[in-house]
Amino acid sequence: MKEITLTIDDRQVKGEEGDTVLDICKASGIYVPTLCHKDGLSDVAACRICVVEIERERRVMPACTYPARDGLVVKTHTEKLERYRRLILELILSEHEHNCLVCEKNGNCELQNLVYQYGIDEISFPVNKLLEPIDDSSEVISRDPNKCILCGRCVRACAEITCQGILNFASRGSKTIIVADLSWPLGKSSCVACGACVQACPTGALTEKLAQFQGRSWEFRKVQTTCPYCGVGCQIELNIKDNRIVKIYGVEDGPDNKGNLCVKGRFGFDYVHHPDRLTTPLIKRNGKLEKASWDEALDLIVARFEELKNKYGGDALAGLSSAKCTNEENYLFQKFVRTCFGTNNVDHCARLCHASTLAGLSKAFGSGAMTNSIREFEKADVVLVTGSNTTENHPVIGSYLKHLIKDNGLKLIVVDPRAIELTEYAEIWLRQKSGTDVAWINGLMNVIINEDLYDHEFVESRTENFEQLRKVVSKYIPERVEEVTGIPKEKLIAATRMYAKAEKASIIYSMGITQHTTGTDNCLSLCNLAMLTGNVGREGTGVNPLRGQNNVQGACDMGALPNVLPGYQVIGHAPIREKFEKAWGVKLPSVEGLTVVEMVDAAADGSIKGLYIMAENPMVSDPNLNHVREGLENLDFLVVQDIFLTQTAELADVVLPGVSFAEKDGTFTNTGRRVQRVRKAIPEVGKSKQDWEIIQEISQRMGYPMSYRSPEEIMEEITSLTPSYGGIHYDRLDGHGLQWPCPDRDHPGTPYLHKDKFTRGKGLFTAVDYIPPAELPDKEYPFLLSTGRILYHYHTGSLSRRSKPLNNISPEGFLEMNPLDGESLEIKDNDWVKVSSRRGQIETKVKITDRVDKGVVFMTFHFAEAAVNLLTNDALDPVAKIPEFKVCAVRLEKG
Amino acid sequence: MKRIRSVEELRSLRKQAQKQAAEREKKIQVKVHLGTCGIASGANKVLEAFIHELETRKLSDILVLRAACIGLCGREPIVTVIRPGQLRVIYGDVTVDKITRIIEEHLVKGKVIEDWAVSEDTPWFKLQEIRVMHNQDLNPMNIEEYISRDGYQALAKVLTEMSPDEVIEEVRKSGLRGRGGAGFSTATKWGFVRNALGDEKYIVCNGDEGDPGAYMNRAELEGNPHAVIEGMAIGAYAIGNVRQGYAYVRAEYPLAIETLSHAILQARELGLLGKNILGTGFEFDLDIFPGAGAFVCGEETALLGSIEGKRGNPRQRPPFPANKGLLDKPSTINNVETWSNIPLIIWKGADWFASVGTERSKGTKTLCLVGKIKNTGLVEVPLGTTIGQIVFDIGGGIAGDKKFRAIQIGGPSGGVIPIEYLNTPVDYEAVTALGAIMGSGGIVVMDEDDCMVDIAKFFLGFTTDESCGKCTPCRAGIPHLREILTRISEGKGAIEDIDLLAEVGEMVAEASLCGLGQTAPNPVLSTIRHFRKEYEAHIIDKKCPAAVCAALFRAPCQHTCPVGLDCFGYVALIKEGKFDETYRLIKQKLPFPVVLGRVCHHPCEAKCRRAQVDEPVAIRYLKRFAADWASEHNIEYIPKIREKREEKVAIIGSGPAGLSAAWDLAMYGYQVTVFEALPEAGGMLAVGIPEYRLPKDILKKEIDDVRKLGVEIKLNTRIDDVTSPLKDGYKAVFIAIGAHEGAKMDIQGEDLEGVYEAIEFLREVNLGKEVKVGKKVAVIGGGNTAVDSARVALRKGAEEVYIFYRREKKDMPAIEEEIQSAEEEGVHLHCLTTPTKILGDNGRVSGLELVRMELGEFDKSGRRTPHAVKGSEYKAEIDMVIEAIGQRADTSLIKNGEVKVARGGTIVADPRTLATEQKGIFAGGDAVTGAATVVEAIAAGQRAASSIRRWLQGKEFLPLVERDGYEPITIPSIPPTEEETQEKARIRISEIEPKDRIASFEEIILGYSPEQAMEEARRCLRCDLEV
Repeated sequence: MKEITLTIDDRQVKGEEGDTVLDICKASGIYVPTLCHKDGLSDVAACRICVVEIERERRVMPACTYPARDGLVVKTHTEKLERYRRLILELILSEHEHNCLVCEKNGNCELQNLVYQYGIDEISFPVNKLLEPIDDSSEVISRDPNKCILCGRCVRACAEITCQGILNFASRGSKTIIVADLSWPLGKSSCVACGACVQACPTGALTEKLAQFQGRSWEFRKVQTTCPYCGVGCQIELNIKDNRIVKIYGVEDGPDNKGNLCVKGRFGFDYVHHPDRLTTPLIKRNGKLEKASWDEALDLIVARFEELKNKYGGDALAGLSSAKCTNEENYLFQKFVRTCFGTNNVDHCARLCHASTLAGLSKAFGSGAMTNSIREFEKADVVLVTGSNTTENHPVIGSYLKHLIKDNGLKLIVVDPRAIELTEYAEIWLRQKSGTDVAWINGLMNVIINEDLYDHEFVESRTENFEQLRKVVSKYIPERVEEVTGIPKEKLIAATRMYAKAEKASIIYSMGITQHTTGTDNCLSLCNLAMLTGNVGREGTGVNPLRGQNNVQGACDMGALPNVLPGYQVIGHAPIREKFEKAWGVKLPSVEGLTVVEMVDAAADGSIKGLYIMAENPMVSDPNLNHVREGLENLDFLVVQDIFLTQTAELADVVLPGVSFAEKDGTFTNTGRRVQRVRKAIPEVGKSKQDWEIIQEISQRMGYPMSYRSPEEIMEEITSLTPSYGGIHYDRLDGHGLQWPCPDRDHPGTPYLHKDKFTRGKGLFTAVDYIPPAELPDKEYPFLLSTGRILYHYHTGSLSRRSKPLNNISPEGFLEMNPLDGESLEIKDNDWVKVSSRRGQIETKVKITDRVDKGVVFMTFHFAEAAVNLLTNDALDPVAKIPEFKVCAVRLEKG
Repeated sequence: MKRIRSVEELRSLRKQAQKQAAEREKKIQVKVHLGTCGIASGANKVLEAFIHELETRKLSDILVLRAACIGLCGREPIVTVIRPGQLRVIYGDVTVDKITRIIEEHLVKGKVIEDWAVSEDTPWFKLQEIRVMHNQDLNPMNIEEYISRDGYQALAKVLTEMSPDEVIEEVRKSGLRGRGGAGFSTATKWGFVRNALGDEKYIVCNGDEGDPGAYMNRAELEGNPHAVIEGMAIGAYAIGNVRQGYAYVRAEYPLAIETLSHAILQARELGLLGKNILGTGFEFDLDIFPGAGAFVCGEETALLGSIEGKRGNPRQRPPFPANKGLLDKPSTINNVETWSNIPLIIWKGADWFASVGTERSKGTKTLCLVGKIKNTGLVEVPLGTTIGQIVFDIGGGIAGDKKFRAIQIGGPSGGVIPIEYLNTPVDYEAVTALGAIMGSGGIVVMDEDDCMVDIAKFFLGFTTDESCGKCTPCRAGIPHLREILTRISEGKGAIEDIDLLAEVGEMVAEASLCGLGQTAPNPVLSTIRHFRKEYEAHIIDKKCPAAVCAALFRAPCQHTCPVGLDCFGYVALIKEGKFDETYRLIKQKLPFPVVLGRVCHHPCEAKCRRAQVDEPVAIRYLKRFAADWASEHNIEYIPKIREKREEKVAIIGSGPAGLSAAWDLAMYGYQVTVFEALPEAGGMLAVGIPEYRLPKDILKKEIDDVRKLGVEIKLNTRIDDVTSPLKDGYKAVFIAIGAHEGAKMDIQGEDLEGVYEAIEFLREVNLGKEVKVGKKVAVIGGGNTAVDSARVALRKGAEEVYIFYRREKKDMPAIEEEIQSAEEEGVHLHCLTTPTKILGDNGRVSGLELVRMELGEFDKSGRRTPHAVKGSEYKAEIDMVIEAIGQRADTSLIKNGEVKVARGGTIVADPRTLATEQKGIFAGGDAVTGAATVVEAIAAGQRAASSIRRWLQGKEFLPLVERDGYEPITIPSIPPTEEETQEKARIRISEIEPKDRIASFEEIILGYSPEQAMEEARRCLRCDLEV
């Protein structure tokens, strides 16, 4: 970038070519008022408040769009400009009657600020008092057109951030208004309720509906923390009054979200204050859970666990840690299980989502995490998204991709059996049959090698085992792949060329790849593909699994897994075990523990007797729920620690009340390996306790001393034992956090992995053959059922279904069915159907949609009352032990 | 059609097309011009009828062809007849029923029907320079006709003989500037796009013509679409990396879209669009994008957005389309007419193009002449043609002989250019300097019936509706400007509003995002600039001088009357036969109905809406009828004195101004004395107007009414010092001395015996003095005094009376009827003639040396300035000269400058309060305004009385006349019947025959009978009853 020098208000200031005059003014501390400008949105020069005088221009010019040049002479505050600005403000004020007295934005309104600054107490024009009706149809957003100044920030936020383009201007001249869709009430429009418009609105025209009359800007205490929903790790600012969260803003400087949030992150926080919150420990007496004191509960837990341990040995006990809890809590939990229980029987729900990623990516690269950073997609030329319904499950990344495609020239390939929203943005969409991923990936590689599109130098110098790969993929000629996957060979070839010829190509995937009996194979294949084209180890490339839960990455990192200690240090390695034994002062078991589904099996067959579950809900999340219930009910002793009485907690002998994200300190590690702070914003509810304190107390009572005074102290211990977290200290985490690996205090963190060298040394090609899913439709069960999530709910629904707006928007589950199937089964929209598999049966409503292909049905697992996991197959991937949620066979009957 | 693969093939196609054209020339051709307006006027029916008739008559040898609009919009449907070897003949207003005669007489017998033919020997045709419009006589649906006229030869030339840079250079040399309005150099614009980085560029034709009153692009697209296509192909070649162009044509132009679409298809078929054009490897294609009815989409960035499928909102520049245009690629947008000029520049050369025009504005411009103009239509003139030439020569002046006021050029983005600037050349700089813009060339001509506040309001209403709503100044500023204008037009404005308009207007113009907002205030700013007084009239006087702003009045007749007489009211009463009430209604507001019924210049009739049906109601004669009827029936109306007051007021002069003031002051109870220097009361009414127009006894009777009200009139009493009455105990003085001194011509011989000043001549005659009248009398001048003098001279026994006037007859200030009567009586009118010397013999007039005048540039009043024609001097034998070239007041009564006298000899008083700078002294009438009309003098008297009353009561002056206490008279509110609104000429008034008139000073106009009056009154449309 060329440096340029300008004269602004008789001052010499510097900027870069490509900057606008406003950019340079801001950077140089020269104040220019703005209204329609907002960082992160395009500039349209609509409000004209930022007009400046520029030498040799006949007219005043908006600073927000004027390209700065070397030698430009600018005046920002002449008498004329101030006069114009006053007039413009008067004009804006005249368009509607602005009443600040009951305005939500009072004190935080950009218009009010300017009017105050310019001291406008009289308007030269008649004020239009005509009241427009307020649009209150949305569950989360209130639109008051009387406060709208038509700056269009909401329109641009909708179009450029979320890329929904729902809001737009309608009519002309002084009748111009902003409408949703074709002038529909917002609640009836295609609005996804992300609230980007609300955050962008400079006035009170768009406000958080639930925050109405709950407090004014100056009354709020503001706490920045990390969103508790998905793995994107959006930075949020809680606005708190009287220890209640009133509203949430996206932190504009948030490294991965840049102010953007989804509907859950912005509006789905009210569960924190839900009356269902557990406030005291509960003990099951006579089959009923009754309130108890902490001492009673803890004493009982310690007594029962010790009893079982003494009677059956440590391996009869197990713990399920939580991807919702902090790194510190996970660390402590696995430490507790390993030290107090004396077993490696510790796992968490990562098993159900990305275990195969961990297995596959670790094998191929040496590290199981997203290779690159979220914000690196803007450096990519092509992104291949497969098995990820990004816009619903990682909405902020989803809309970021849409924005890059729309405005940045990014090309998208989607490989997905469902017509997810991203397919509308894809240059090429390959619709494979569910469970045929290895086949199409091999097909891609077949074409790449045949057309000599692979990166010879990379393959030679950075990888091993290429010849074996070549041999296996040579069988996957496009014709054969078409047969297996249903992807037309021309499309396959076109997609191959687009991916392979890109200078920088990145792969995004998620559970559509991992939740298969061949999950590990799928992941390995994607690694093969990336390595073959040299798309690893560079900015904007890589293999990027999007992690589902807010801290599933961290829970894995912390060793809440049966085979590894924190930082993926393998438990079987004696030197590593010794290091921990020394630090923890106990002997550690060397045998790998049981995984989630294995624990259930073990409980069912009686080899596991006691289970401690922290903030997990297997009774909704795990496959083959009847079997899960059987297992859990067969336990001698079950402890569940959570913030609500979940379906799992209902089965517990003791329930312990933990705290929500808003009540705790700690860290979450997002899908991009970024460790970010979680900050305590409100006091614990009732007698609930910090999760780490609960673990510490049980541990102490079981005779293993723990005396941490804060999560930060726990982190210091993590840091000392975990090389990849070696430099992660709380005092370094304000601002943008740190991306591991971060080995020491001076290390800046690692945006992308495998630069110059793979973690494991050389990248390993693993030749994989296609294996069909464990259960496919047949005569008896003719439909293929796939499961997943929707935008408005989260995981087992224990949080999101207790959020009033989220549950109002999406109150019930449904089964997606292709119109052709609907026709042949004579099933219409909203009809009830009975869905049964070899494992169970549920009833649900039907939504007829061509998002699913003929013969395929889809359900979400958020709704316990129609728990799809009663149907799913608990067949496991042999390596990663992940169940095959994505494919099972079902039968449909009209209800 | 076969694809053309090379330049040679194009040439041979041209040859073939020319041969076909020549074949057609050998036959009789009937061309029916099928532009949109032609079709709207029924041209399609005419075409069908010709075909049918000729078939029926088996005249298959006669060709019936279709052609495009040739601009004679006012005469549609138009048919051109061409017979081999003869000049073409254009017929206007050709309806189906005229066809038979055209066929029989002209087509068959070769006899031109002169009275239907449009003469081409007129400035309309002669001052035009047809270039862009040169193919409008062809069939636009046939590409071969275009090729026969060297169509696509320019494209062939650039593709084979010129480099892109040479093309741009040629365009630069031509000086072509954007014809869409902004006037940016086309070559420079192309150069920007050529030099912009990018291997994909676009060119766009802007055919979103949206200005009210502009339709030149429509005609061009309908008539000559291939010129646009060829121009764009040349542009694409010159700019480089352009493979696709778009023509953005508004959907409201279906015929233009049809014609252009057809032309594009034909061009593609011939290979003149598409890949490998003429075998040169050059590729370019063109598509039409129909606009969706938003005016703002004529703005280039909004237009681009619209093509991109977005809301047609303008985008901030920079970046300019040249760098970031359509789909963010470098693009150029040029207007239809700009593109149409390109093939001509290439084919005929830059020098040819630049051979007309001005220094900085070369070539021709098409203009649409609409509004109050005789010859409505589409013309093409060299840039630099003056507004006066366009309006008066080409346009034929104002329809209905109303007075020209201004043109609005450039549509809502433009501004008004008033009458003072008729000599301004229409080019980019000159028009912009006057606060307007060239725009696409729509010229709306406005006359005295157009209100400038209303015009500004109209255009601001247009831009209020058409603003895209994106930027604040335009979206919110323009409606407020309009609101302020509305306020003013309703008489609710404050004088500060003018500044507010200017202040907001300036901000909107400077701070708006796009051209729409930047130019939208132009109509306001330019009308304020040129017509500030009219704004003030609305605000201060609550008057709309054009009688347009309806909220200010009940009916235009009343509003226009200087004394605000409810004309509609007395006409309505006459219609009902209520003559008594009629008289009282009039007399309440006007003390001299008998006088004004005879001599008023009746501005009311000029605004009478009945004129739009046939001719105005005879408002003045109806007043005369009522006054005469009252007089005959001895009906007297002397108002009740409101409240007796002691204060004495002196009025100097007993003319209509003085006596009206006296009447009003006396009515309000003041003690009024009128001082009259002459032996008779009445001022000009008595000594200026001849008896045959205003009989003395009638006048006396009305003056006696003034005396009856208690006013003392002291005759033969000259006031020598204007301040003396104040010293004598009068509390206020009103100077109403009129303008009784004649002006001199300053030529040799004015001191000869037999040379009179007209005013002196009339006075002498009126006072019964012996005046010796010559045999051959010359009157110099064109006003009422001149005409009166001429007619008096006739009656006094002159054998020959001549009026010499230096301008044209239509410019004569005298009342038209009077001029007509004078001519009927035998007065010889010699216009465009002026005396240079009065010849004498023995100290007596013996003749005149005269010179003929010719008219040159326009003066500030909009009349052409007369110049002497060298060598045209001639002599006339004359023995008496009456100079009637102007009058002024005798201001000798102002001794010490107590009251200011202006350079022209008029007394200075505030035009609204009539107060002079000297406290207690007021002045009005001709002495202040210069020679004006009787009714204006009466109005001045009433105004003075109003001010004097407030002065005497110690109140602040008001700008409006305060006059109240009228007796309630119910005016019937019965609207006219259907029948009464049907066309019907006014009832002619009886007059004495001209030959009998000149024998005496008998009154020549006899007046209406009651029946006639009632019948005439039935013609009134009762505008006052309109909601």
